[in-house]
Formats: sequence, structure tokens, C-alpha cells
Amino acid sequence: MPKKFEITNNIRKLRFFSNEMTQQELAEKAGASRQTIIAIEGGKYSPSLELAFRIADVFGVQVNEVFGYEIKE
Amino acid sequence: MSYQEKRTITTIVTGLLVLAAYCLYAFNPVRLSALTPGDLKPWAVTMLIFIGIGVGASIIIQIVFHILMSISIAIKEKMRNMECDDKEIEKTIGAEMIEDERDKLIELKASKVGFGIAGGGFLLALVSIVLKYSPVVMLNILFLSMSLGSIIEGFVQLTFYRRGVWHA
Repeated sequence: MPKKFEITNNIRKLRFFSNEMTQQELAEKAGASRQTIIAIEGGKYSPSLELAFRIADVFGVQVNEVFGYEIKE
Repeated sequence: MSYQEKRTITTIVTGLLVLAAYCLYAFNPVRLSALTPGDLKPWAVTMLIFIGIGVGASIIIQIVFHILMSISIAIKEKMRNMECDDKEIEKTIGAEMIEDERDKLIELKASKVGFGIAGGGFLLALVSIVLKYSPVVMLNILFLSMSLGSIIEGFVQLTFYRRGVWHA
């Protein structure tokens, strides 16, 4: 049986280190809705690869610095 | 509650109202007693009329909802910042109503459920013919399953908005 992965993210931390960027600002810069950013931050939605890259681009970091994964047993 | 969730709720309410109106009109004992058993034409006419009412009501309610939401967002924005201009208000309204990949995924997953229910209704309608029920029963099963499918699709969308949605 394939292992289950859980996507984790550091968006809250990255927003904090980007002058406490608001979710609305991040949403506008990444081309998504504020609700989607809230859902991603809360672990209620895993973004597409494209949106993940766009979010990383907003913070000027690599995707793996924004998103990671944990293996669920 | 987000704009998309509120919009979904208005769609559900519209669907429920049209379905309730259809049931009250179509299954009215006075009307049923006046119909010739097995005559499909009055049923087809009624369903066509209610499909038209449903589409019309849905368009009008969505337009009214959109206008009311825009006014409510503009008022909130004005209360938050009295010096904001029309461009800023328009930008806020646009940002609130933006539809992105998550909304599309939710719509797609919910529509699968809606089509599933409509498909189940089609099978049930076929079974009703095999069991020698009147074609009127088959027509009503088809109509009701499609209406219910669209209402349940709305509820599934709301569930995805609340609980979250994931690919695959």
C-alpha cells in the first residue's frame, strides 16, 4: 500500500519574515484568492505545482523552502 | 464566509425553491385528478416551464447577489478607510470575487457527485420502466434526480470549502 504524504508549508513564517506580508498581498502577488492562501496555510488545500512555484517566487525562495512533506503512518 | 460560499448557498436556495415550487404545483391533487393517466404532454410542458423558471431565477438571483455583495464590500471598505477611492474599492471587490484553481477543483469534484446522482436517477428511471411503472413516474424520477443532483452538488461544494480539498 502506498504511503500517505501530508504537504506542510512555511507560508506563515515566510510572511512574517517578509515584513508581515498580509494574506491578501500574497494572494494578489501569487495570482490566487485570499481564501486559497488561507486554505493552503491551514493545510486544507495542496496547491498545484504552478501556484506553489508562484508563491515561492513571491518570497524569492525555492519551492522546497515553502513546501515540504511528512509521511503519515 | 467567502464570496464563493455565499454564492453556493444562493444557488442551493434557488434550487430548493424551484424544486419545492415544482413539487407543490406538479403533485397538487387537484391538478393530478384533472390529468389523463399516461398523458405525458402536460408533464413535459410543466417540466419545461420549471426548467425555464429555474434558469431565469438562477440568473436573476445571481445578478442581485453580485450587486448586493459589491455594495456590502464597498461599504466595508469605506468604513475601514474613509479616504479610499473608487479604484481601490473596485480592486477589493475584484480580489474578493476572484475564482482560482481551488474553486475550479471544488467545482469539478462537486459536479462529479452531481452527475453521479443524475446518473443514478437515470438508472432508477429505467428500472421503473422495467417494473412497468407509468412513463410519468420515469419522467419525474429523471427531473427530480437532476434537480436533487444540482442541489446536492451545492452542498458538496460547501463541504469542500469548509473541510478542505486535495488533488486526487
